[in-house]
Amino acid sequence: MNTPPARPQKAQGIRRRELLKAGVTAGVTLSTGLLQAPAALWGAEVGQPKRGGILRVWGSDPPHFDPHLILNAKTHTALSFVHSTLVRHKVGPEIQPGTFSVEPHLAERWEALDDTTYVFYLRQGVKWHNKPPVNGRELVAEDVKFTFDRFLTEPGNAARYVLESVDRVEVVDRYTVKFLLKEPYVWLVDVLANPIMWIVAPEVVQKFGDLKKSESAIGTGPFLLERYEPNVKTVFKRNPDYFLPGLPWVDGVEWLVVEDASAALAMYRSGQLDCGPAPWWSVRQEDLESVRKTHPHLMYQDFLSTVSHAIYMRTDQAPFNDVRVRRAISHAVDRQAIIDAVFLKGELTPAVSRGLSEWSPRIDELGEGARYYQHDPKEARRLLAEAGVPKGFKTQMFTTAGTGAGRQITDAAQLAQRSLKEVGIEAELKIQEYGAYMATTWAGKYDGMAFGPVSNAWEPDSVLYGLYAPDQPRNSGHVNDPKITAMLKEQRRTQDREARKKIIFDLQRYIAEQQYYVYLYCLGITGSWQPYVKNYGPNTTYNYGGRSAALWLDR
Amino acid sequence: MRQYVLKRLLLVVPTLLLISIIVFTLNHMLPGDVVVLMFEEKAYAKDLDTLRAKLGLDRPLYIQYFSWIGQVTGGDLGESLWTKRPVLEEITRRLPVSLKLGAMAITVALCIALPIGVLSAIRQDTLKDYAARSAAIVGLSVPPFWKATLVIVLPSIWFGWAPPLQFTPFSENPWQHLSQFILPAIILGIAPGASIMRLTRALMLEVLRQDYIRTAWSKGMREPRVVLKHAFKNAIIPVITIVGIQVAEIASGTVIMETIFGLPGMGRFLVDAIFQRDYPVVQGVILLTSLITVVINLLVDLTYAQLDPRIRYQ
Repeated sequence: MNTPPARPQKAQGIRRRELLKAGVTAGVTLSTGLLQAPAALWGAEVGQPKRGGILRVWGSDPPHFDPHLILNAKTHTALSFVHSTLVRHKVGPEIQPGTFSVEPHLAERWEALDDTTYVFYLRQGVKWHNKPPVNGRELVAEDVKFTFDRFLTEPGNAARYVLESVDRVEVVDRYTVKFLLKEPYVWLVDVLANPIMWIVAPEVVQKFGDLKKSESAIGTGPFLLERYEPNVKTVFKRNPDYFLPGLPWVDGVEWLVVEDASAALAMYRSGQLDCGPAPWWSVRQEDLESVRKTHPHLMYQDFLSTVSHAIYMRTDQAPFNDVRVRRAISHAVDRQAIIDAVFLKGELTPAVSRGLSEWSPRIDELGEGARYYQHDPKEARRLLAEAGVPKGFKTQMFTTAGTGAGRQITDAAQLAQRSLKEVGIEAELKIQEYGAYMATTWAGKYDGMAFGPVSNAWEPDSVLYGLYAPDQPRNSGHVNDPKITAMLKEQRRTQDREARKKIIFDLQRYIAEQQYYVYLYCLGITGSWQPYVKNYGPNTTYNYGGRSAALWLDR
Repeated sequence: MRQYVLKRLLLVVPTLLLISIIVFTLNHMLPGDVVVLMFEEKAYAKDLDTLRAKLGLDRPLYIQYFSWIGQVTGGDLGESLWTKRPVLEEITRRLPVSLKLGAMAITVALCIALPIGVLSAIRQDTLKDYAARSAAIVGLSVPPFWKATLVIVLPSIWFGWAPPLQFTPFSENPWQHLSQFILPAIILGIAPGASIMRLTRALMLEVLRQDYIRTAWSKGMREPRVVLKHAFKNAIIPVITIVGIQVAEIASGTVIMETIFGLPGMGRFLVDAIFQRDYPVVQGVILLTSLITVVINLLVDLTYAQLDPRIRYQ
């Protein structure tokens, strides 16, 4: 099991003292199993901020720029440079990847009047970008109301489910908005910090009809969109009127589209990129050893992905409606072998990815359910016999190479397929093109089993509720368990964070026992950046813009 | 001649019509429509229907086809379902990149193939011939994406250097703009160059054994005149046919080169559109590519008469 170190490290020769220190740290980390907070602030080591320079980084090409018409990370990561949210996840090197503490942003404070009424007090003097049609006017409560009205009513908004408990948003005065909920939903503030909840201006929507065109990317964020070149790059320049004083430090950002992984790595190696050449500005695990060897001066930091991978199945159909069959599948799959052979780094995970450390119990904390994570073909065969299928059965397993992890997913699926065959389950692998996979398998229109990443979350509610509540379209496993539904609803009403955490941990223990989704692992990521990039800390949110605004270049 | 050209041009219309029907039908038959992809995993049934209606995708397929083909005949390829930008505008932006890459690649291919092919034939079974044939086999066997990867990756590991992999527009820096095409064009041109070289050699060997060549030698003509004026000109016609076919192959190869070298051409545009089920874009690009292929093949046919006066068009 690989455990991420707590802070960035230089990959230079290790001195004996450092080795001992690392050993002690690793021992403590392994014994507690929890991600440790950094021992010292990395930001404190970086000296005085320096203004200027252009940050050139790996980016992606957004299909379009309307935040309410798409969930695609490619759009929201680009929008993170130009837009702001009411509240946000803290950024910076002192933030341990996998922690998503909420801090004021456009709203300087907020309060819950009761279980269903939240009031947000806006920061005064925040200016929209100095571009027509807003021309740098002040952000007011009406803008926030407009944004969330559009969010909740736009037919094309696939993220609407996140705020389905919101009844309406009211303007109290010029700088105050009130969220009125249909039912208690304690995650409201966390969800509003998600980097998809960008505040948009009504005039811009009126002028362009929607926000799909790059010219309509006008916000209150740290950068202005200067130029968009499809398939090449998006160029951002510093917003001189940004409401966080002094930020951003860099004059601009070139968000480069480099589709080919080898080309991106060559650019990073040759200094054409300032940060890692892959998602989360990381170096792919298969390249890591070589890059560390040739480029020991670069900065590296390990962390875990917030995405859980799983085998999911039609739990409303035989034989998967029998818990013994699902447990047999769980026992059959050798999770660690898949990590070692395919992904090289990762960790076994319960329902909420271990990357979301605060809300994810370690496997040995799962109680009775922990045993099903053990690779035990003999026990799997016994359970299948007990379920009345001693010789196993034939089924199909759908997957796709079109997700972020790409070809590795199909490699992993083949290893799982082999493990299943050893206990008598012959799963015919059906590799689908991404579009076909999303339209059929992911939407729950399949028979048998499926394999792949199932969730990404910066808080546990959306992943648990989405995959287990019977009325949710993301419930690809067709799970309908009244006990789970009751616990999901209960945690949504529980204000006390510790009590809520207990419910969520208990829920994951019960889920581990039931194995509706056979959770496998979350992947290890190694963030990397050039040594002259200061005050930067990686994390797994889309807020690249926020992180870019906080860093500076000391070339 | 004029009649022939007119006839061929008229044939383009039913060809393109047939292509349009095939492309349109197959495109819409792909599982996973654009609306589902727009919503990704979190769609609600009623939202899907609303958006489908908004995009006009709820109408019967034949009505959608006629509506689209009506637009196309009016010179409008429609709008991208994703970005709402006119397809023609998007193509106009990207076409020069692909044309430049394709033209440079075919130039590289011909520059490699013709001299070496001729040399290999007139020096048959010598060391030069063996070397040229071996090099051709290597050129054909090593896939272009691998060559491209090596060209990019190895210098970055050994010297910490990589060729510029970010696209520079011509207006920004003309020299840098052109220089970024050199490496991909060489890599893309090697494989077709190798196959054209082998064909040139084989055809030259055949022609060099003809009676009229022997007569030319016996008249005491000098080698360059015999080889280039009498042999090469007669050997070249099948080569030109192959060059016409290779153009289509090079067009498909540009997808990979554009991706690796960061060139915003038609290839990447088409691949993205297929994955996003952006029907008007896929249809528009394929229709235009077909048109270009048809025109190139027509030009190839017309070149025959220029090279061999015996060829008459009817």
